[in-house]
Amino acid sequence: MTYESQKVAIKFFVISAIFFGLQTLLGLLLIIKYIWPDPIISILPFNTARAIHTNLLVVWMLYGFMGGTYYVIPEEAKTEIYSRKLADLHFWLLLIGGLVGVVGFLFGWTAGRPLLELPVELKWAVVVVALIFIFNVSMTIFRTKKWTAIQGLLLGGIVMLAAMWLFAIPFFKNLTLDYYYWWWVIHLWVEGAWELIAASLMAFILLKITGVERAIVEKWLYIELALVMITGVIGTGHHYYWIGTPEYWLWWGGIFSAMEPLPILLMVIDTLRHVKERKIEIKERLVLYWVVGGAIFHFIGAGVLGVAHTLPVVNRWTHGSQVTTSHGHTAFFGAYAMLILMVVYYALPKLKGLKQFNEARGFWVFWITVLGMALMGVGFGGAGIIQTYLQRILGIEFLTVQEFMKPWFMLVFFAGIGFTVGVVLYIIDVLKIATAKPE
Amino acid sequence: MEKKTARNFFIWGTVICTAIFIWLTIDTHKTIPERTNTDKLTDEVVAGKRVWHKYNCNGCHTILGIGVYYSPDVTKVYSKRGDIWLKEYLKNPESPDPKRRKMPNQNLSADEITKAIAFLQWVSEIDTNDWPPTPITVAKVTGAPLEETAMILKGKTVYTQNRCDLCHRIGGQGGVIGPDLSKVGTAKVPQWLSQIIKNPISVNPNTQMPAYPHLADDEVQALVSFLSGLK
Repeated sequence: MTYESQKVAIKFFVISAIFFGLQTLLGLLLIIKYIWPDPIISILPFNTARAIHTNLLVVWMLYGFMGGTYYVIPEEAKTEIYSRKLADLHFWLLLIGGLVGVVGFLFGWTAGRPLLELPVELKWAVVVVALIFIFNVSMTIFRTKKWTAIQGLLLGGIVMLAAMWLFAIPFFKNLTLDYYYWWWVIHLWVEGAWELIAASLMAFILLKITGVERAIVEKWLYIELALVMITGVIGTGHHYYWIGTPEYWLWWGGIFSAMEPLPILLMVIDTLRHVKERKIEIKERLVLYWVVGGAIFHFIGAGVLGVAHTLPVVNRWTHGSQVTTSHGHTAFFGAYAMLILMVVYYALPKLKGLKQFNEARGFWVFWITVLGMALMGVGFGGAGIIQTYLQRILGIEFLTVQEFMKPWFMLVFFAGIGFTVGVVLYIIDVLKIATAKPE
Repeated sequence: MEKKTARNFFIWGTVICTAIFIWLTIDTHKTIPERTNTDKLTDEVVAGKRVWHKYNCNGCHTILGIGVYYSPDVTKVYSKRGDIWLKEYLKNPESPDPKRRKMPNQNLSADEITKAIAFLQWVSEIDTNDWPPTPITVAKVTGAPLEETAMILKGKTVYTQNRCDLCHRIGGQGGVIGPDLSKVGTAKVPQWLSQIIKNPISVNPNTQMPAYPHLADDEVQALVSFLSGLK
């Protein structure tokens, strides 16, 4: 840490960790509802619990990205943050908005669109939060003397994230168009804007811990993200096979999305190469684990499991089944959750002025969450394959098939309990570091 | 490759692919009227879509395969089940069979039900490139839950509304005064069932079961089809 104003990131990291924990608890509740009869169906039905589960995910990741950005931007732009007050302001606005959203869901205040359940009033509040954030980051970057690729791409990702959100706001009369633009938020976030943000944060940390030249790190960052955008934007078409859109999307979506693992594979290769060709000794062993583990898990969850069901011949049978759940969980964890934990484990001790901190608990968090999520991926995957075969291919009725899937849901349940333990350890770690006295 | 070349690769790659994507989007919009029958997209259908959102149906069900995988996909539910079934089901979705995953009763008004059904009817006619696919073979599963026809659903509603469950049990749920009905379909014929419902004493002079003379003939018939299906 070089700039005093970077410290504003601390509270973003703390809230991010706490919301991560809440999201995990809701996840446990959801899998319980899959397996056993539901005694609280009238208080907290499945759809409400699921809306809270996914919206908490988005909020904790946004907090993670914002905290990461506020840590990285001053060091890249070589200046203090434009306004700490504005950062505080949108921190609280997002927190209040998020809490009102969650409480609103409990009382049935919903827009009823999956993942975008926030009512329209709160969606506009998110726009306000995004505008303040973008303004603050831009004003900081404009003070820089040297425009780096990392800060440019990071800002690009944030602006794209906010721009795509606008498509979440209108009410669409036509369900097909509703979902057409729904994917402009969902897909172009996770396979566009978020990748820009995540890869930039990753490049910054690789630069810092390996000491590899900036020119090399940034060159590969450009190539990775060029491939992300080239395959990802038209790759949105893999969601346009069966929603009422023309048949040519089977070709456009199939071909471009089949190439989507390429940039992720390149990220793994680049990461390993930068680590191998390091110019300085890597002191942050734990951060290195999250860097390399994240790159690999990202590739498996998003790349391999994504491509496994992206071609129309496969997707025709797997679409709308638990196969997607398996991919969704592992991809989000590998691509974004591990990335944010990497950023936090790198930045938080530095923000607190800790030269050394006990990494033992962090390693437990790493292995428990990685193993837990891998097993959850297997559980959902097994359930999805059974569902695809029995329901789609053999035509057995939905609820009957769910019975056959239960052993795999049990696996998800037990892996989920393990995962929760890992997340609780993470929260303890974050709180301990955040409240530590500087040396 | 130089860093500058890499940067240009990023910029031009993004610009060109975005341009193609926007061009495809414009073309897609031109096909929407025919593929989704926008001429049939009436105000009632739109109102039905609002009902769909209001109760966050998409938070359990998928539609066009998108949404949540907790409950069955509803894309083709109209063409598969029909108007009458949907009307009965939306009125009382709670299955008396505790082994089945339960849909909570949303207490929809009759007006909301009509609109929701109009929406589902419109959705069932969207050209989805033949999704969901027809199963390759249709397997029969023994011990599977009964196939719920409109008649059976209506019978289920009659069963619930008249609180038969105060005395009888189905699948372990209900009272203990009357006999367990979980497998009544294997033990009794429909004529016997309709007779005991209308006039219990004529079947068994010692029975404690009250008569239900106020039930209309079609209600008795529906109740009997429901009970006959319990095997």
